[in-house]
Amino acid sequence: MTRHGIRLLKFGVLAGTALAAMMPAHPTAAQETVKLGFTAALTGPFNEFGEGIRRGVEIAIEEWNKKGGVNGKKVELAEALDDQLVPDRAVQNMRRILDNEQIAALIAPSGSGPTLAVIDMLEADGRPVCNTQAQTPTIVYPKGPESPPRQNIFSLSIDNTVEAEKLAGVLASQYKKVGLLHESTGYGVTGAELIGKAIKAANQEATITSEAYNQRAQDMTAQLTRAQRAGAEVLMVVGLGADLAVIRKNMARLNINIPLYATAGGITPPYMEGAGNLVKGTRAASTKSFGLDEPPAATKTFLELYKAKHGFDRWWGNDPERPQISMATTVGTAYDCVNLLLNAMVKANSTKPKDIIKALEETKDFPAASIRAISFSPEKHRALTVDDLAVYEIDKQGDKVKLTIVQE
Amino acid sequence: MTTFLSLVLAGVSVGAVYALVALGLNVTFWTTKTLNFGHGSLMMFCAMLMVYFASQGLVLALAAVLSLLVIAAFGIFIERFTVRPALKTNNSMGWVVSTLGFGIVLQGVAAKLFGSQAVAFPSILFDSEDFVTIFGLHVSLQYLVVLGLSVFLVVVLEAFLRLTRWGQAVRAVSHDPELGRVNGMPVNAIIVGSFVLSALLGGAAGLLVSQIGGTVDPAFGFNLVLFGFVAAVVGGMGSSVGALVGGIALGVLSKLIGGYVASAAEQPVAFAILMLMLALRPNGLLAQAEATKA
Repeated sequence: MTRHGIRLLKFGVLAGTALAAMMPAHPTAAQETVKLGFTAALTGPFNEFGEGIRRGVEIAIEEWNKKGGVNGKKVELAEALDDQLVPDRAVQNMRRILDNEQIAALIAPSGSGPTLAVIDMLEADGRPVCNTQAQTPTIVYPKGPESPPRQNIFSLSIDNTVEAEKLAGVLASQYKKVGLLHESTGYGVTGAELIGKAIKAANQEATITSEAYNQRAQDMTAQLTRAQRAGAEVLMVVGLGADLAVIRKNMARLNINIPLYATAGGITPPYMEGAGNLVKGTRAASTKSFGLDEPPAATKTFLELYKAKHGFDRWWGNDPERPQISMATTVGTAYDCVNLLLNAMVKANSTKPKDIIKALEETKDFPAASIRAISFSPEKHRALTVDDLAVYEIDKQGDKVKLTIVQE
Repeated sequence: MTTFLSLVLAGVSVGAVYALVALGLNVTFWTTKTLNFGHGSLMMFCAMLMVYFASQGLVLALAAVLSLLVIAAFGIFIERFTVRPALKTNNSMGWVVSTLGFGIVLQGVAAKLFGSQAVAFPSILFDSEDFVTIFGLHVSLQYLVVLGLSVFLVVVLEAFLRLTRWGQAVRAVSHDPELGRVNGMPVNAIIVGSFVLSALLGGAAGLLVSQIGGTVDPAFGFNLVLFGFVAAVVGGMGSSVGALVGGIALGVLSKLIGGYVASAAEQPVAFAILMLMLALRPNGLLAQAEATKA
């Protein structure tokens, strides 16, 4: 062989080795898992929501993988991106997730703002999406509850419509003048409108005073005095726990002693911690399963798994005997979403979007942690019903908070 | 009438906090003609630090003093590393970015150290249920304490500036630092002192307003600085009494408009006042017009 030939051979061997090194060891290895993805508020002031989703998703995936995965493939959380509840960042993150064609199914972002920002993008993409926390009804039913749902969006969250129906049922039967305070976000505005309409529908004589506030406002005197001047017999707040604490303290300073009702934010840690002993007597609506003396079997299973993995942390709360109700909506729904999506893939024996969606729509009485039994149909993509919610009253003795169901 | 008085009282109390913030901004404006855009983060950090110290078992008063000392140290840091380098170049506006940057970094540090969730802030002197009855009106003691402390701090600062040698030195430096240097004044020490004082005022405002809200989180403070800035401009940039008058006027007006017109108008009205004041009386209510030598 000439020197030139030897050089060519050496170059060929080197190039071949380099090429082989760049190739994956097994060409199909990247596709051997079932991949899931989400963007949520993993850091920032609302990270209890995003971190809750991650915990729920991870627990469910671990359990599925222990059982052998889905149709012989392991399950993998391929994308878990942080949007800090900022809609723009959620859009960027979701674009990246959707560019990964191997993602078989997705979890919607935490909160209505980011979810509304990406929902059209998700619908156009067509892959199945499960919503765990965002409450705005148009996320599932863009043209109203009587119109068809988005074909690939399924929801386990506490929908504003259902929550409004539950709270309005209680308020309309007891009070004629209702003061509605709501945050100025899409969630707050929609929630207050729906509650107002539902109260009016239940009691036409009821008068409603509606006042908005900005998240993180440090003083609510103006809103409270307006409700007081209108003669409100009860105050209903649609908003987050930290703001509710400001409102409750402000009520005490202004000597406003009327009953206080709230949406699910009323039984979250920021309210319990921020308002101190003033939380006593506050009533709020949230999911029922976690508040029952004898929770459903699926709820018990989830709680055991959570306890084993994370112990009694911020999401569980400081009572080892009983988790916080808010854990159902921050962690429980994410756990249920993954179970539903993977169960649909098993039933369909496929990871194609159309097959998964068809299997999801055939779901009947699926036992879940946050909702006792989940059923979907082509027309019904929202799992929660009024019967899945309860109205709780808060009591506090020393440092111990006790929640009692006052309206099932 | 009760509604009116409740709104006025809340406005005066919240406005007094705006005045403290405005005063904190004024102090550095006197000595360096700069504003600390990270002032809101100092308010937040002081409040979060106090919650942390209290959670470690310290009595509240000691926790408050310790957190204020840390904030005072931040004042030195801000002057040394964010403002002084920027002022070495004539007409540089670099301090706007560097002080704002410092504030953002401090937010991140607070989120890392204390978590990004809102944490409960303890009632320092009174609870929100504590009140006195004055002419039949239910008056919150928390509001009274906030008001009393804010007015006290403004009066002390004004007295310091007018009646003490150091105060006169600060005023001299605010007029002409170069002349002060020629006359042997410790100009650098006075400037550093003004940043320490500004940070302490910010910290005190943070502690007072957190008590009203009941919670504090790393994003706390930014809105308050905006209102403090409006109060400072309305009262007259650089005037202590102006800051108090501007802050209280802003607080009362926004509460009255929120209570009688629309609660959503409460914030926009502040900025409408700012624009109006800049258009009609750019020097503010109480600041003297600046004379320029030919």
